[in-house]
This record gives sequence, C-alpha cells and structure tokens, in this order.
Amino acid sequence: MGKKKIGIYSFSGCSGEQLVILECGAELFNLCDLTEIKSFPMAQSNNEYTLLDIGLLEGSITTERQKRELKEIRSHAKILVAMGICACFGGIQSMKLGEGGWKKRFQKVYGDEDKLFKTMKPLESKPCNAFVKIDYYIPGCPIDKKQFLHSITHVLNGSSPYLYQFSVCTECKWKENDCLLLRGLPCLGPLTRGGCGAACLCYNIPCVGCWGPAEVLNVPSEYRLLIEKGYTTEEIQRKFRKFGGAPMVECLKKIMKQSNYSATKAPRLKGGI
Amino acid sequence: MRVLWMKKEDLREFLESSKQFGELWGPVQKGEVYVYDKIDDFSRLILEPKRTLLPVKKLIHPPEFNILRYEGETYKTELENIPRRVVYGVPPCDIHGLLILDDLFRRYYPDPYYITRRERTAILGVSFCTPTEGCLCKSMGTDVVQEGFDLFFSDLKDFYLVWVGSSLGDDMVKVRPDLFNNNITRKHLDKFMECKKERDEKFTKSIDMTVIPDIMELSYDSPVWEEIGERCLECGACTMVCPTCNCYNVVDEPSISGFTGERRRYWDCCIFTEYSLVAGGDNFRATRADRLKLWYTHKLKSFGYSGKPACVGCGRCIDTCPVDINVLSVVRGLLGGKEKEGKS
Ligand code: SF4
Ligand code: SF4
Ligand code: SF4
Repeated sequence: MGKKKIGIYSFSGCSGEQLVILECGAELFNLCDLTEIKSFPMAQSNNEYTLLDIGLLEGSITTERQKRELKEIRSHAKILVAMGICACFGGIQSMKLGEGGWKKRFQKVYGDEDKLFKTMKPLESKPCNAFVKIDYYIPGCPIDKKQFLHSITHVLNGSSPYLYQFSVCTECKWKENDCLLLRGLPCLGPLTRGGCGAACLCYNIPCVGCWGPAEVLNVPSEYRLLIEKGYTTEEIQRKFRKFGGAPMVECLKKIMKQSNYSATKAPRLKGGI
Repeated sequence: MRVLWMKKEDLREFLESSKQFGELWGPVQKGEVYVYDKIDDFSRLILEPKRTLLPVKKLIHPPEFNILRYEGETYKTELENIPRRVVYGVPPCDIHGLLILDDLFRRYYPDPYYITRRERTAILGVSFCTPTEGCLCKSMGTDVVQEGFDLFFSDLKDFYLVWVGSSLGDDMVKVRPDLFNNNITRKHLDKFMECKKERDEKFTKSIDMTVIPDIMELSYDSPVWEEIGERCLECGACTMVCPTCNCYNVVDEPSISGFTGERRRYWDCCIFTEYSLVAGGDNFRATRADRLKLWYTHKLKSFGYSGKPACVGCGRCIDTCPVDINVLSVVRGLLGGKEKEGKS
C-alpha cells in the first residue's frame, strides 16, 4: 500500500490551524513519514491541487476564486476535513451572515468592487460546507493539537474521529470553576463546543464561543436567560453571532420567527417551577 | 465502632502525623468556591466541612484519566501509579454518595480503577456542618453516617468525637495515641445531642421523602418534564457535580503510527443527546424531557440494585444549574407548586 496523500489548503482566516499542525512535534514527523504531503503552504513550496486521500481545509470562503478552488479540491479528495471555526462555521468574518447589507459594508471598507477586485470577485464569507460536502469537522479557534492528531489518525486509518460533543460547561466543571453565568455574566459555555479545556473559564473570563456552536444546543433557553439577567436583544445577538457562524444564524432565525422573543420575561408554564 | 474524643487544637498535629499514610488532601478555597486539593501548606486547609464544587468522588472516580497505555501487543494499566491519599473534611452526604458508588463499582460491577483508588484513599469525615442554603441531607437521611469512612470527626465546638470506622483508621490513631482519649462520659453525649439539635434547627429547605418516590411514580406524564426539557441547556453541569452520578465514556487514542496509544475514560452524562444514541441512529430517549425524567427518577425514586433514591441531598444541583433545574425545583413542580420552603 502506497503512502496516503494529504493536502492542507488555506482560505480566509489567520492560518492558525497550520500553525497548530506545525507545533505537533514528534507526531508531525510521524505524519510526514506515513503520508505524502501535497500541499502545506505554511511549511513548503510547490503546493498542488492533485488527487488526495485526505484534504484538510482552513479558513472560510470569501471569493469566487476560493469557491472554485474548494470545488476543485473536493473533486480530487476522497475525504474532506474542515479545521477551525472559519472553515467549519464561517468564523468571525461571517458574523453578519444573513443580515443583508453585505455589499454596502464591503463598499464602505474597500471602495468600488469593480475597480479593485477583478480577479478574485469577493463574496460574503461562508463556511466550506456552504459549497461542498464536508466529511469531518475539527472545531476550535485555533484547533486543539490533541483533537487534530486524534482526527487525522482516525481518518488515516479509515475510521471516524470522535471528538467531544458536549459543551464547554462539562470541562468547566471538571476544572471546578465557579459558574459565571450564575453570577450574571454572559457566558456562552452552554452553547459552545467543548474541547478547549474551558481555557477562559479557568481565568474567570466568560466563554465567548470561539469553538463554535455545540452539536446540540438550546439557544432559546440561554437567550431567555440572558434577557432575564438584563441583557438587551442586540447585545445577546451580537454575542451569539460573533463566533456562531452559519449554524447560529439558523438558530436565531427560528427564534425570531417565534413571537415575542424580545419580550423581557419569558413565559413559564404553570406548575411552580 | 470505637469512639474517642480529641481536643480541637490537636487536629492539626494529628493530620500532620497522618501524612505517613498518604498525601494529605482537604477542602481549600478557590475564588468563591471550595475544592479538594493537596495540602502542602496547612494554613490553606479549611477545617469545617464545606460543600466543595466537586464531591469527593473526583478523587475516587476522577473526571478524566488514562486507563492504560499500549505498545504493540502489550499494555500496561495505570493502576500502580495511583497514589495513597488521606482526605480530610468529607461531609456525611458525600460519604453516603461514596457508599452508593461502592455498591455499583465494588459490588455489582467490580471496577479495578475505582476499587484501587477507594482502597488507597483514607476518608476522614467531618460534621456537624452548619447547613447552608440547599442542604437537604436531613430530608434524605444522609446527615449521619455509620460506614464508608476510616475516621469521622464530629465537631462539638470544644472537642471532636472521633469515630473509628476501619482498621486503617485505627492504625492512624495508633500513630499518635497521645492525642486521643477513650474516656467518653455523659458530658460528651450531652454535648453531642446538643450540637445535633442545634444543627437540625438550621435546615431551611426540605423534601418529604416519605411521599416523593410515589409522587415520581405517579408523575410519569407530568407536564413538568416537558417544561424543564425545554429549559435545560444540556450543559451537563448538574451531572458532573452530583456525588452519585457515575457514568463514563471510554475512548481509544491511538498515536499516528498506530503502534502505541492510550485508552481514556471520562465522565459522561445521561442528559446528553448522544448518551442514549445507538448504532443505526436510533435514540432511546430522544427528547431532553425523557432524559431529565430518567435523571430525576434515579435521584428521587430508585437507582441501581438498592432500588433506593440516589439523591444524598448535598444541594450541589441547586448551586449549579444555570436555569434553576434541581431536586428542589423539580419536587416543587411535581407537587404543583405547593411544596413550601420550610423546616423539616
Ligand atoms: S462558567 Fe460558563 S462554561 Fe462554566 S459552567 Fe458556567 S456557563 Fe458553563
Ligand atoms: S441530585 Fe442534587 S442534591 Fe441530590 S445528590 Fe445529586 S447534586 Fe446533590
Ligand atoms: S445543570 Fe441544568 S441546564 Fe445543565 S444539564 Fe443539568 S439540568 Fe440541564
């Protein structure tokens, strides 16, 4: 059996995922031994779009050219893995996704599109799965080394990676942190994927949601809770959207469709609780 | 059981001497909460019993650890690395929690990781605590404890009554026999009764456990489950902090070469959607309402082979849930909001 071919491709983002991979130490050498790396822009020249066993993606899609490249990678790769929240959910640059007004915002920052961006053709930022099928996701901002090694090991061996599905709160309790949400701070722990080791909570900093929306989340309940704690709908939506990307846009859309979510007190059933 | 008494001021000296039986652990303050920690600096140790964020189960059934490491075809468990510990400051409710875990992990499903840690951990219990908000041990009958510890210190203000609960406890006493006195008199008993009475009057919350198991049985279709299911954030926090929640997940972490790797074990939670998901995509308890109903059935009706409710009344779920779902609020809901907050 020949070596597996892998390729790492970078779109719009901070390239944090590549940096984490570069920091994998001895395991990186093992990865190099076991595979043929066809693309890794931060580490090598001569990167190519070619037949791949595994394609690893970072960054969100913000130009027509990236969209084309992404589709090409998909057509060449047996398995595609999205790494980091930009590739997985859209990232911070997708904060305003679905709100409309992208053209206007673009013009304000960059000026007239036609004059500046002829070759790239800018788009509103979207996650990779808005354009192609993604097989596995490694969330994080940036991803966690252990979760990357776990995932790549499984994918190389033909099995599915298994990452934490629970939210940040679980690890937060393992680390015995006092709950900030109970103290009235707008912690997004319950809505955010675990795996970060509750890093910020260990420093008493409320979770901002940088690992992206959890697999299962109860957005209406936390929304209501924060309203009860005195936050405005604008503040809450801004917080939820900052790292929430496309999945959060969907959740918020549903909430807004239900009547009166901006009402200050949420209705509660009779019966006491 | 042998009962002795000890002067208050001698506790520190005794605990110093107990270090020959293992690392000394006990409650310390961390920000606004208390946690069990290794005691190197004695001034950090809190002598009165406290509701620590995680119960003592964290030392016997840790949140996450490696079960084994493998290399090629051989493997080595991590059992021999488990340290000996002496844990001071464990309140009666937490010891009752351990007794329930003992039933599960020592009797019915012998678990070498649990058993080894349990055997290498000396439990030094303490009461009488001043009940804080949400303490429900009196309702649950877990405010006194007869077994499950090595030594137990009843704090009677001027002195401790010391109950010797195991031969290890006896050995610990024997290291400093000069600190203990076995002449128990009427005066000691009177003081014991007085302190107990004083403590009993301080409980502010109660649950009537003579009826709640039956109410649970009758509440299978109660709207309460839907209601809390809709509110629960599925954060798992209540489960992590509950002394009698015991579920865990096991995951293999092979290295890239595939030749070496480790097997990890970490706490799981039956409120998670994934918990009741099986191969093929079916979910036995697909709604959060169903999963919460299971959780509360275990806590308030019956759990495991003992068939008794597993809530030991520690009050942690009350302190922990961001959306106010806990044994008290659920009971209040099941009783149609009529449950009075008051003395037992
Ligand atoms: S502090 Fe945040 S992450 Fe931690 S338990 Fe509370 S809500 Fe969850
Ligand atoms: S159900 Fe709540 S009060 Fe009862 S033992 Fe568990 S955490 Fe403590
Ligand atoms: S702590 Fe509350 S919100 Fe979190 S899982 Fe438990 S019941 Fe649900």
